[in-house]
Amino acid sequence: MSDNHIPANGSSVSGSSAPRPRKRRRISPLTIAIWAAGLLVYGFLIVPVLVIFLSAFSPQEYPQFPPESLSVRWFESLFTSRQWHSALWNSALLLLIVTPLTVILGTGAAYALGRLQFRGKQLLQSFMLSPLMIPQVVLGIALLYELTTLRLINSIWGLVIGHMIVAFPYVVRTVSVSVSSLDSKLELASMSLGAGPVSTFRRITLPLIRPGIVAGAIFSAVTSFGEVSISLFVSSPKTITVPVRIFGYIDQTFDPSVNAISVIFIVLAVAALIVIDRTIGLTKVM
Amino acid sequence: MSEQGTRRISAKRGKASAGLFQWLLLSPSLLFLTLFLLVPFVMLLVLSFRDVDSLLTVLPTYSFSQYIDVFTTPAYSRTIGSTLWMALVTTGICVLMAYPAAYLLVRTPSRGLRTFFYILLVSPLLTSVVIRTFAWIVLLAQNGLVNEVLINLHLINKPLSLLWNMNAVIIAYVQVMLPFAVLPLATSMGEIPPNLRRASMILGAGRIRTFFRVTLPLTIPGMLSGAVIVFSLAAGSYITPLLVGGRLQPLLPLAIYQQAVQVFNLPLAAAMSITLLLIVGIFVALAGWATKRWEGRMRDV
Repeated sequence: MSDNHIPANGSSVSGSSAPRPRKRRRISPLTIAIWAAGLLVYGFLIVPVLVIFLSAFSPQEYPQFPPESLSVRWFESLFTSRQWHSALWNSALLLLIVTPLTVILGTGAAYALGRLQFRGKQLLQSFMLSPLMIPQVVLGIALLYELTTLRLINSIWGLVIGHMIVAFPYVVRTVSVSVSSLDSKLELASMSLGAGPVSTFRRITLPLIRPGIVAGAIFSAVTSFGEVSISLFVSSPKTITVPVRIFGYIDQTFDPSVNAISVIFIVLAVAALIVIDRTIGLTKVM
Repeated sequence: MSEQGTRRISAKRGKASAGLFQWLLLSPSLLFLTLFLLVPFVMLLVLSFRDVDSLLTVLPTYSFSQYIDVFTTPAYSRTIGSTLWMALVTTGICVLMAYPAAYLLVRTPSRGLRTFFYILLVSPLLTSVVIRTFAWIVLLAQNGLVNEVLINLHLINKPLSLLWNMNAVIIAYVQVMLPFAVLPLATSMGEIPPNLRRASMILGAGRIRTFFRVTLPLTIPGMLSGAVIVFSLAAGSYITPLLVGGRLQPLLPLAIYQQAVQVFNLPLAAAMSITLLLIVGIFVALAGWATKRWEGRMRDV
């Protein structure tokens, strides 16, 4: 069957003039309707982000449309506020603890799951990815109850554990992508030449799955930095993170510097995205 | 022993020690997830069968009283019903909107445009949910942008109250969760061989008929896997409803949050959590079953 298709594909690629008249014929009202609907959907996705940018640079408390002038006063108030400083410090500290630990755990797990064959492997895989699907309010309350029992609730470790649980599946997923595209013959060759499993893993496997590890680290860092559902349950007044502080501000008062910090978050997210795209390819990970 | 023999033995030993090494790599994660994912859930399950006295102190006795409370109190039954309804509506709207978005992503002729669509789809996933929800408050508030624009266009005289109701929750949810519906759908749309659609059109089917007879059936699995994620997120998050819907919306995650953090009736919160987990579990299982049936049918055809 595929033999029949090759000439058809080949002709449409090589004959550059051929598709043109066909394209013109294809622009029907239906095509226009589908494109309009699709573009509307993408517009709907992007509107809130535009609103945040508009508000962050607006001189008034409430954003106006169209904006009359630009100002960076909300960014300034961000950098002079003590509360934002301590929240940023907590978030950064968490990120520095959570990311390496999650990456080490997740990489080991994804590699082992890719190579081992045993009964119940699928079940174990779903268990490892389950924090993505479990209602976050349930995850939060379950951890709150356990950590209260263990008396870990007023330290930063409750947050570390909560963030690791939600970031872990992302690392497993991205590293699994890299492991599944890694030819296991390379490892077998290394072992048959006398290298043990540890040095084979360190010198052959790790360098080859590095893109997946990098993407996993970025996802894990971004997840930890933005996590709020579980943090709200397990954080204490001393360990408030940026998203928890934002939540508090929105819930109780209105502080336009929230817009400014949101802009910083969004810029970081897009930067992370571009790095992932360069290292492993966006289409592969998602 | 011949050289070949020793090599074979050493290869075998290598394989065994590699297996051991892989289990060694897996065990820290197993330990971590057991301690902080499995154990908390077992503890939560046990807690949900505990009784409380009138001061909400947890008693050492066990019964079904919390579950009886959840299922017989009219307010809670209404909450379960509206949670289900809201999650289903959100899922339905997401799936409907996902089709044109996925179509554009897969069929766009320009690579730059495709990357741009991808960034539009994935960047919300990397932005904290509080931030995305906050944007909707700025948009929908009494003095928000939507009201301002409508008043400036003289379409309305006084601001509409767009926030603090279930519609606001659904609008914000759809925007927050749409990428989860689009991405798996786009994957399964991209896997359809273009010749299949071409064949259908050559055989005389119009584009609409081709969509319903070829594209739609083949994208059902991708659509369902997106729907499962959207449903479980919509049924289980509390941040967005709390911020744009208000504390009084009859939604199960909000009720759980209130019982746990404000009322401190932990056994009742645990029973509600287990109920919510069951609802999501049933939906996931149904979708999994439907996907399997559908794929089986597609293979037979």
